[in-house]
Amino acid sequence: MRATIKGKMAAMAALSAAVLALSACGGGNEAASSGSSTSGEVNLIAYSGVWQDQYTAAVIEPFKAKYPDIKINFSSKRSSAEMLSALQGQKSNPATDVAIMDNSVSTTGNKQGLFEKVDEAAVPNLANVPEKFRDKGGFGPVAMVDAVGLLYDTAAFPKAPESWDVLWDPAYAGKINVNAPPSLLGLSLTAITAKMEGEDYTKGTDKAVAKLKEMAPGVQTFAPNPDEYQNVITGQTVLGLGQNARGQFYSDQSNKKMGVTFPKEGTVYQINTVNLVKDAPHSAAAKTFINYALSPEAQSAFAKALFYAPSVTNADLPADVKDRVVPTDGSLNIIPLDVDFLSSARDKWTDTWKREIITK
Amino acid sequence: MTTLQAPGQTPLRPAEAGELEKATEKRNRRAYLALLIPGLLGLLVSFVFPLAYMVRMSFNRGAPDGVIEETFTFDTYIQPLTDPYYWKVTLDTFQMGVTVGVLCVLVSYPVALFLARSQSKYRSLLLAIAIAPLLTSAVVRTYGWMVILGTNGLVNSSLTGLGIIDTPLKLTNNMTGVTIGLVEIFMPYAILAMISGFGRLSPQLEEAAGSLGASKFNVFTRVTLPLSLPGILTAFLLVFVLSISTFITPRLLGGGSVQVLATEIYDQTTGLLNWPFAAALSVILLVLFGLIIAVYQRLTRKIGG
Repeated sequence: MRATIKGKMAAMAALSAAVLALSACGGGNEAASSGSSTSGEVNLIAYSGVWQDQYTAAVIEPFKAKYPDIKINFSSKRSSAEMLSALQGQKSNPATDVAIMDNSVSTTGNKQGLFEKVDEAAVPNLANVPEKFRDKGGFGPVAMVDAVGLLYDTAAFPKAPESWDVLWDPAYAGKINVNAPPSLLGLSLTAITAKMEGEDYTKGTDKAVAKLKEMAPGVQTFAPNPDEYQNVITGQTVLGLGQNARGQFYSDQSNKKMGVTFPKEGTVYQINTVNLVKDAPHSAAAKTFINYALSPEAQSAFAKALFYAPSVTNADLPADVKDRVVPTDGSLNIIPLDVDFLSSARDKWTDTWKREIITK
Repeated sequence: MTTLQAPGQTPLRPAEAGELEKATEKRNRRAYLALLIPGLLGLLVSFVFPLAYMVRMSFNRGAPDGVIEETFTFDTYIQPLTDPYYWKVTLDTFQMGVTVGVLCVLVSYPVALFLARSQSKYRSLLLAIAIAPLLTSAVVRTYGWMVILGTNGLVNSSLTGLGIIDTPLKLTNNMTGVTIGLVEIFMPYAILAMISGFGRLSPQLEEAAGSLGASKFNVFTRVTLPLSLPGILTAFLLVFVLSISTFITPRLLGGGSVQVLATEIYDQTTGLLNWPFAAALSVILLVLFGLIIAVYQRLTRKIGG
């Protein structure tokens, strides 16, 4: 009797374990088994928040109107690093088709074999992407361009500050927000400061670090919440580091309580690429989507919605939008932050900020 | 032990009853074991496996950009254990846990004592109010504190408005803000832990001490406080453990300047994608503070008699 019960219990336990194990891996298997390339679905991974809202309205909705049989599933992440992490986790069994992410991170993805090359045969609109915005190895091209801007409170600065020097001005001590690395904003500020100090950041950052140390006591927060823009808009700070695109958007949203500008010393591009995931479950539909993302209508719609500069040559922008997106014609002083270099420097610079620059 | 007897049956002889009881006990034991299986399986899948995976991960090597090299190395442990920076982060985490624990106990004790001794018909309502903050998420409450403690927040604008201070106090984006936020967020836990630990506290004992001539102060220090000590110690431990492992509040109210093990693990996991290093830090956090808690419990058992 006892043996029977024991046996039954063991069988039940084994069954439960099997059910649990099956349910645990069910998600991944399902995604793969339904993954025929003509199923009319695109699993997109990209940024969350206002980016998602605006991209959905400006690009995804019109795409769905044009291709009613293709469904887009938007999976949002707070940062490119989180996207990369998600893609690495799916490497053996991809569930994502397209990723729109920062180019420093997508370059890493290219190296790690997470992405597929794209060509003009599959993505005809690639022809309109200039050479400088294409990947040398033929991987995902640039989908939109932005740059680091200086955010300022328009009440405190009726005229936009002209130099990054203002971050060191004692008059604004305690009223500044700077996103420390690993945020790209903080990494970019390190490169900008090195340039201001006449230092080649690829060789060393001693001068930049010394200069940033002088700024640190005046920084109110190195991790602004809810974000860098709201901090300035609500008057918590009067100066901040942010992206031009979102800065322009929030400037309008806040009724111009906040402005964003590119100081004269120059700035660093913030570039997003659109990438086809290797062994994507819906590769054909994904290529259709990438092609649309590079179309003039999608590019100009997103520029109007969130002020990202188009990466294609044939997207026309109204003059008032053109004035507010980052110039890509060489008229702006751009400090090159090499993505290959950055991937090796990210850890080191983050460490330096934590140990030497950020003060309690 | 009671004799088993179904209604309407004649009582069994003691020997029969004994055998029956033994058989029932055996059956019960099997039933208990069977009942444990779903829970144990759940624990295995949701806790033991992930923990084992994390421990295994901590022996891998993390290359830049999230590449994980499958190997077996102690480098991920040697680095934090030999680096003064991580010792400082660990010490800061410990200090934060102790400070929040002590402050939380101090402010929660009067509330818990009042609730435990209250004879009021509104006692349940008051208790519900005391633990009501648990109904909102810690994230929401942390954002609330950001609004209250900010440069233009309630505290600073009131103090500047009243002319008490000229420049706003720096109450957020530092350890002060994190401490204030954590103390409030963990108060309901401390109150609940204390109330359940006040078992031996009885008004009769206090009355007896009073009638024997002890002053109110003496009654408190020699009767109430010692009897409520088990509750206080449990509450402190609970808040300490919650504080050292909390991530949201140090992240949001710390403004990047408060570096504790939890925020460090977050940065390594999501910012730098160095999972092996993050896993090693997690194991260190688990082992180190597991040991501290074990020692603490031994000590409190001694105190509790």
